[in-house]
Amino acid sequence: MKSDKKVRLNRRTFLRAAAIGAGSAVIAACGGGGATTAPTAPPATLVPPTTAPTLAPVIPATAVPAPTAAPTAPPAASAETINGVTLPADAAPPEYQTFVTYFDISADWTSPNQMETIYKSGGFGSITNVTGDTLTRLDKNFQVQPAAALSWEADETGKAWTFKLDPNLVWSDGTPVTADDFVATFRYAADPTHAWDFAWYYSAPGAIKNWDKCVAGELPLDQLGVTARDAHTLVVETETPAPFLPAKLVYSEVLSAAKLKEYGSGLYTAEPDKTISCGPYILKEFKPGQRVVYEANPTYKGTNRPRIQKVIQIAARPEAFFAGYQAGEVDRVTGEGLQTADNEIIARDPELQKQIRLTAADFRTDYLFFDCQNPPFNDVRVRQAFSHIVDRDTLIKTIITPTQGIPAYSFLMPGFPASNSEGLKDIQNYDPEKGRALLKEAGYEGGKGFPKLTLWLRNEPQIRVALATAIAAEITQEYGIEVEVSNKEFKTFMDAINAKPTQIQFGMVSYGIDFLDPSNMLGVWLSTGRHNWFNKTFDDMVNSAAESTDQEGRIKVFQDAERMLVEEAPAVFIYHRTVADIYKPYVVGECFEPNVAGFAGLQWPGFSSMSNSMQTLYMSNEITKFRDKPPA
Amino acid sequence: MVAYIVQRLAGLAFVFILVSIVAFLLMHATPGGPFDEPNMPLPPSAKANILAKYGLDQPLHIQYINYMANALRGDFGYSFSSPTETVAQVIGRTWPISITLGGITVVVALGSGILLGILAAVRQNSPVDYVVTFLATLGLTVPNFVIALWLILIFAVQLKWLPLGGWGDDWRQIIMPMVALGMGPLGIAARYTRASLADVFTSDYIRTARAKGLAEQMVVMRHAVKNALIPIITVLGPRIPDLITGTVFVETMFRVPGLGKFFVESVLDRDYPMIMALMLLIAALWGLVYLLTDLLYTWIDPRVKLT
Repeated sequence: MKSDKKVRLNRRTFLRAAAIGAGSAVIAACGGGGATTAPTAPPATLVPPTTAPTLAPVIPATAVPAPTAAPTAPPAASAETINGVTLPADAAPPEYQTFVTYFDISADWTSPNQMETIYKSGGFGSITNVTGDTLTRLDKNFQVQPAAALSWEADETGKAWTFKLDPNLVWSDGTPVTADDFVATFRYAADPTHAWDFAWYYSAPGAIKNWDKCVAGELPLDQLGVTARDAHTLVVETETPAPFLPAKLVYSEVLSAAKLKEYGSGLYTAEPDKTISCGPYILKEFKPGQRVVYEANPTYKGTNRPRIQKVIQIAARPEAFFAGYQAGEVDRVTGEGLQTADNEIIARDPELQKQIRLTAADFRTDYLFFDCQNPPFNDVRVRQAFSHIVDRDTLIKTIITPTQGIPAYSFLMPGFPASNSEGLKDIQNYDPEKGRALLKEAGYEGGKGFPKLTLWLRNEPQIRVALATAIAAEITQEYGIEVEVSNKEFKTFMDAINAKPTQIQFGMVSYGIDFLDPSNMLGVWLSTGRHNWFNKTFDDMVNSAAESTDQEGRIKVFQDAERMLVEEAPAVFIYHRTVADIYKPYVVGECFEPNVAGFAGLQWPGFSSMSNSMQTLYMSNEITKFRDKPPA
Repeated sequence: MVAYIVQRLAGLAFVFILVSIVAFLLMHATPGGPFDEPNMPLPPSAKANILAKYGLDQPLHIQYINYMANALRGDFGYSFSSPTETVAQVIGRTWPISITLGGITVVVALGSGILLGILAAVRQNSPVDYVVTFLATLGLTVPNFVIALWLILIFAVQLKWLPLGGWGDDWRQIIMPMVALGMGPLGIAARYTRASLADVFTSDYIRTARAKGLAEQMVVMRHAVKNALIPIITVLGPRIPDLITGTVFVETMFRVPGLGKFFVESVLDRDYPMIMALMLLIAALWGLVYLLTDLLYTWIDPRVKLT
């Protein structure tokens, strides 16, 4: 496998890797404006805040938050109204309200609906989940907002939730959206013959009642804890109290019960002539690997009305995304699609820097992990020694670059509920001397007797191979332990990490959220999670906090659990990824104003029914300076 | 001749079965499976359901027999990655595009490569020779994805002469992928033609032809080139299956919706039905191209006998 290359670790190899990286940058720069000066660090204004903001707990147990204010730009006399939305005064004419973007040509994309598939949905940059409303959505501060469900409440047990649906929602064939559609959607998601690739999501914590048994085919689907009380009242029952359920339910893009019955699967959503929509957009063209087009749904009567009237997505190779952006073909490139050389070109061009929009993306953290059940990493002192070897500040400055990440000394990123970055900062600090002392105590003075290590990576791009190589070199230099970096193909890595017992002694991987609750992020460290660190106290803390309806109390328990995680060091946290998307200057909207964590970009979950960002995004009349005619 | 062809085709059938067994065993022996989850493992019972749905819970030899029995009837199953289409539909949709791009590239790149090789051989150590050598070396040494990136940056981003990519909307869309795809084969064609022709030029029969007073053009085209073709065909023949089945880098870089990407993606996705179909396709193409190459030898050089 090409991506399965092994990199021998020494300074020469590292320098060679750096030289190759620099060479690539030069190649890319040949057409990128001709500047040949060395890349400089981006200006301070692009660096995200490094202090932990104090986000309020985001999930109300029973109350419904006030909806985020609708777009407030006052309509000018000439402002145009289209599909029930009045465009701001500085907006380009409706025909220019078209958003053109790329998606990964190599990625699988089987349906635009998330309940059909999550992982085969177009890869980097794709816009998906816009042809059906979800029960709830998030605003840019990650607060849960009403969506298809206008209100909700839990009963006194915290295990039965009643959702009142928006009675205005209709399918594009004119039929109303009812609770039966949501029931059919959840039954389809749990259907063992469907084999939804995201089926684990509605398991614990806060599992939907009978979910696991239905997924396993042990119970009929009518036993699933999602039922219709009446046409517009949906009841969702959970196995345990789940105060975060409304946040979790952002993944609930509704399918049509009638179409599911007619076609026997949710794949109808991928066929423009068969699908119907009750979301802000309707599917017009679906050619994975080529082009996917949505148009604003004229029958949409929900609460997430978009200003953008058409979304054109072009399949391209990520290496060519930025070239296409420079050529003016697309309006944005998401940060994941920008290559190292692209970011270097952006970093030395003030105009391009202004076009960067930072996001916390999915609060992803990259970390080293160990086989904690076998020597040498079953000794906590050894793990702690490794936690003192990562010089995060230098790595961010020299390899990752400050627009792409911030140092991580703990798991939960600043801005994430229960994050305690500042409070945990000193536990895994960079202190090789302390690390050497710990290794000596564990019987490995100067690395003597320590086995040679292989650091497994999960099909990482060059920039994170360089990061791992630098860390490995530091381990060798400071501790005398030989480390070889091996960048594995994705499935080979996942097969090895999920094996019981694990086949990875020492690895580097990342994790990002699926729903906005500490129980999701911390859940990866439960004994039932993907790592083989087993700590009953930690399990009990996370599980009890997950079920607790005491908002303040549960946050405190999560923070204590994270402290234990950082102290016990089954992982060494390296950096939290920030994502620097780039947008043309004419792409504007309130969604680009800084959120409470200081990020001024289109925040997770991005341009989809799961977020209300599409209510504010639009093309200003500046667009006519860049485009002769509306994109088609 | 007919007996020879029948014999070769029978051998091809044997190769086919061998390839299918090796590919089948290798893809199942590779860690990971088509329904592994990127983040969290599914409950074992749920995983078992998925495997049962696709027949992946059966013993390997049963899976193989089932697959081959269906394949012989022309049913290659559904692609795991593209469940709305059968493998045959995916190939039917994408391969003609790769054949078109590859076919044009074969004609243009190999044609011009041979022509440049002839020019270089006739004008050895002249500026023409040096230019051809430079072009050929460039084509042989620079990977096609780097050439692709250069082309995009120069002709699409800077000069804006050509579209960034795509297929079927604008005839100019074919230019950059054709150049990126063709530079390597062009280099090979030019170098081998030059070397082969230079060798033939030293032959006695060329000296005789010149001594008879034949025009140089006649000497080169009638006597030299034809005899120089055998090593060229040997080298260039096998390039053709590569070119007409598409390449992942060039096709994805220029957004050509061809077959190329499936050769890589199907393996990364562990898309077993697609892997098997592509392996069999490639085995068939290579077998046929080698057979045609051998037949071509007899046409070019009557001294070659097929037995």
